[in-house]
Amino acid sequence: MKNNVLFFAGLFAALGISWAGIVIGSNAQLGSLAPFYDDSEGAAFPPWMPGAAARGQLVYRDLGCAACHTQQVRRPGFGSDKERGWGDRQSVARDYIYQPFPQLGLSRVGPDLANLGDRKPTAPDASDLLQMLYTGSGGMPSYRFLFETRRLGAGAQPSEKALKLVGALEPRAGWEIVPTPRAESLVAYLLSLKNPYTYPEAAPVPPEKPEAAVASTGGTK
Amino acid sequence: MKSEYSPTDAASRWPLLLLLIKGLSWLVIAGAFSLIASIQVHTPNFMAVCPVFTYGRTAEMAETAFVYGWLGNTGLALALWVLLRLSGEPLRAQNWAIAGAIFWNLGVFGALVGIALGDRTGFELLGLPGYVQLLLFVSYGAIAVPGILAWSGRLRRISFASHWYAAAALFLFPWILSVAHVMLFSSPVRGVLQPIVAGWYAQSAWTLWLAPLALSVAYYVVPKVTGRVLPSYEFAALAFWCLVLVGGLTGGRHLVGGPVPAWIPSVAVVSCALLLFHTFVVLLNLRGAYGAPGIAAKFIAFGLTAYVVGALCDSLTSFHGIALHTQFTFFDEAQKQLALYGAASGILMGGVYFAVPRITGKAWLSPNLVRAHLGLYLCGIVLLVAMLATAGSAQSRDLLDASVPFSAITAHTHPALAGATAAEILLLLGNIAFLVNFYGTACEILKLSEPAPFAAAPAAETHAP
Repeated sequence: MKNNVLFFAGLFAALGISWAGIVIGSNAQLGSLAPFYDDSEGAAFPPWMPGAAARGQLVYRDLGCAACHTQQVRRPGFGSDKERGWGDRQSVARDYIYQPFPQLGLSRVGPDLANLGDRKPTAPDASDLLQMLYTGSGGMPSYRFLFETRRLGAGAQPSEKALKLVGALEPRAGWEIVPTPRAESLVAYLLSLKNPYTYPEAAPVPPEKPEAAVASTGGTK
Repeated sequence: MKSEYSPTDAASRWPLLLLLIKGLSWLVIAGAFSLIASIQVHTPNFMAVCPVFTYGRTAEMAETAFVYGWLGNTGLALALWVLLRLSGEPLRAQNWAIAGAIFWNLGVFGALVGIALGDRTGFELLGLPGYVQLLLFVSYGAIAVPGILAWSGRLRRISFASHWYAAAALFLFPWILSVAHVMLFSSPVRGVLQPIVAGWYAQSAWTLWLAPLALSVAYYVVPKVTGRVLPSYEFAALAFWCLVLVGGLTGGRHLVGGPVPAWIPSVAVVSCALLLFHTFVVLLNLRGAYGAPGIAAKFIAFGLTAYVVGALCDSLTSFHGIALHTQFTFFDEAQKQLALYGAASGILMGGVYFAVPRITGKAWLSPNLVRAHLGLYLCGIVLLVAMLATAGSAQSRDLLDASVPFSAITAHTHPALAGATAAEILLLLGNIAFLVNFYGTACEILKLSEPAPFAAAPAAETHAP
């Protein structure tokens, strides 16, 4: 390699190939993916992300929840995602088109959250999630800094948002623990995570049965 | 001795020493954050009261300090040194490198503060908040100026493998970073395109920036310590172009089964397999490192082993059937540590042990600290990777069995993850020994009394590059 210009041009071209292939190629394929309009439901999917949820996604991102939780369900039969109740179908690109910062994640120290708001058999509600954030559970730390412990004024009613804790965690008499706005938007975001609609490209492909294939060709004869 | 202490090195020492002291300091800082993060994995409530130290943030601060602080500074210092050695004259435009080094490190510091205060991005190997990326981009360019001048002003027209890798790393990283900045921060692409671009960035940063920095050092140092021409050197150019051409195409390695077009992980499978050709040639070329004398050769031999094993693992785990088991587990983390902490760091540490006596003209201050570092580093990294892989295999078995709840998975992985924490402690101690020894050696320059002369290995004197 004696020619400087040729060498650097080669480097540039090599990088350009992977950029054009991976980045531009996928952009051409998915960049203009539109929501799916279902005539029978009279609505387009995925639904728009509510503002509180979009704020919550920022909290989710900056605390680094994605370090332990993925948000991508793999197709039934590839892993135990369906059996664990994380979703009946695989996640597809269309699920994420309204998310400003998709949090696919790379690690499952904790469960997948792509369908948390629609979890079978029972989805958690806001108070469950707030309580879990406050106390932590098993492998999950407690996020007490997302809550405020404050004194109740004389004769004041406790806030309706106050956590209903029992046992050792119960606040002293005259005090209450309330979620900060950050905790509330985080919970709004977590509850907004659901993929109820099955797009054509996301419908699980039924396993191919050899006898069924034979029967269908036999029928046409 | 006379041939080793060259006036070209002495005349270019200040930017190199500045980059190295920063690099080694970041290594210790990254080790401290890694230790915190490693404790948090098995004891989640460790430092949980402090919002600055959530696990997601400490892990990302550790990674950022490690990649942009330690590998970035040290790799750049050694790449500049290799280029200046091969050009045969002192570095030109040293002020550019010094100014660049100062701002690069301000940028890394700013990135850590930004992550701690809530500007985490969550992209792998790109934890840098958007606002420091421009600073890093410009300062990287400034640091690269003397390197490019040394490349273009070389005495002989012919160039060597260490040349190519160093020049490629200097030239390609700003492009990769700027593409990622535009497509993820200044005008972000939509939906799952973000993880695709981030995957492309992470794999390109590894294959086109960090690995070439390390390989340029290895290709320079190994013939020096063995005193022989590299065997099978005629294939080195093919291996180089294979890496450059295929590296970025491995970007979909982590997206197997994810909500992305299926061709992206498939291209990654093919590319990872093609990269094995590159790895195989590198192993053939550099096999002299095994059994060569000197501390530098030991580090480089270990780094080379980690590089080869890591490439094999990358290739295997990109396959569908194997990714089913390893994906989303600590096995991924084990592979990452093997690549960054085993391969790249091992080779760069060997390079530092080889270069510093030549840059300063002084022998390493304490041979005992050198031995301590080698021992602690080798034990630490082997233990770390083994423990993470053990935890990963337990986690993989449990994740695939839907009847095992997460509390049970946490309990099953706990012992191995505690072992990983022990490994992080060993590594941190070793790296502190490394930093102290380096600092002491560098301070020797300032002493007026004549220090003990540095005696080089005899083989090293006879062979010019």
